[in-house]
Amino acid sequence: MAEGDDRARIEPPVLAEITLRINGTEHELTIDTRTSLLDLLREHLDLTGAKKGCDHGQCGACTILIDGRRANGCLALAVAHDGAAITTVEGLADGGELHALQRAFIEHDAFQCGYCTPGQLCSAVGMLEEVRAGWPSAVTPRVNTSGPPELTDAEIRERMSGNLCRCGAYVNIVPAIADAAA
Amino acid sequence: MRPFRFARASDAEQAVALFNNASEPRFLGGGTNLVDLMRVGVETPAVLIDVNHVEGHDLIEEIAGGGLRIGAAVTNSDLAADARVRERYPVLSEAVLHGASGQLRNLATVGGNLLQRTRCAYFSDVTKPCNKRRPGTGCPAREGHHYNHAII
Repeated sequence: MAEGDDRARIEPPVLAEITLRINGTEHELTIDTRTSLLDLLREHLDLTGAKKGCDHGQCGACTILIDGRRANGCLALAVAHDGAAITTVEGLADGGELHALQRAFIEHDAFQCGYCTPGQLCSAVGMLEEVRAGWPSAVTPRVNTSGPPELTDAEIRERMSGNLCRCGAYVNIVPAIADAAA
Repeated sequence: MRPFRFARASDAEQAVALFNNASEPRFLGGGTNLVDLMRVGVETPAVLIDVNHVEGHDLIEEIAGGGLRIGAAVTNSDLAADARVRERYPVLSEAVLHGASGQLRNLATVGGNLLQRTRCAYFSDVTKPCNKRRPGTGCPAREGHHYNHAII
């Protein structure tokens, strides 16, 4: 039995009221303070696009955008993001029109089973914004220069390294992202 | 996970007061380390005090003498991308960029990074003894698998 479990059994849940803007719609929610953004989306709002892979921030399947920045939904406590704007894979398309990255993933066959794909897509959206903002990565030749770095395959691979794909679809994910960014 | 109460501090004085008046409190930054340890039962706070919105602590500022003051709530991403850090302290930017993933760096804060607990797998596994988690219970790393462990 885990050390923390004894008290988890005898102490009642603590509830909190929060407001989130999710894919453009405002939600007023009463939640257990322990609820992650990932569980809130999946279990409370039936937005099952973001996936639970490891639940420890290592696989990236739960990647969502919080106020425009990509983040692991599994490690983000919903109560700590009261007031935030959340975008999930369900919110990427504009009505019936797929996002450029969604189209590129289809055109390049950038998935096999598809479990990691929602996280890959949200991560790529956030990643390309980071490149546009001029953020360096661990493989950017010189971090002390300004301007957007060149989006080489090495840059895409490094920047997308927080999203694992057990099917090994990386060989098509990289050109799909390069294509959408061009 | 043990149920916990939650409070968001808006300034440093309030954060300290909330901490001092609570039993079993922890400060919450991005949560990338603390929430994970709470989920596995290693950390069991009764109160979380969110210091991500403490006024002025999300800034990187020039200080007299030519240095920079980095706020505790600055994210790892914002630290690594800051033009002044990249120009004057490129090794700091590079070191941050070599840690974790883009998603984690967007959540993780500088203060939380400095306060994160040991990454030892035995510490994070409540089915194993650990002198750091429960003093006197032993240390499996001494005899067991300890590749990539280090004593500095």
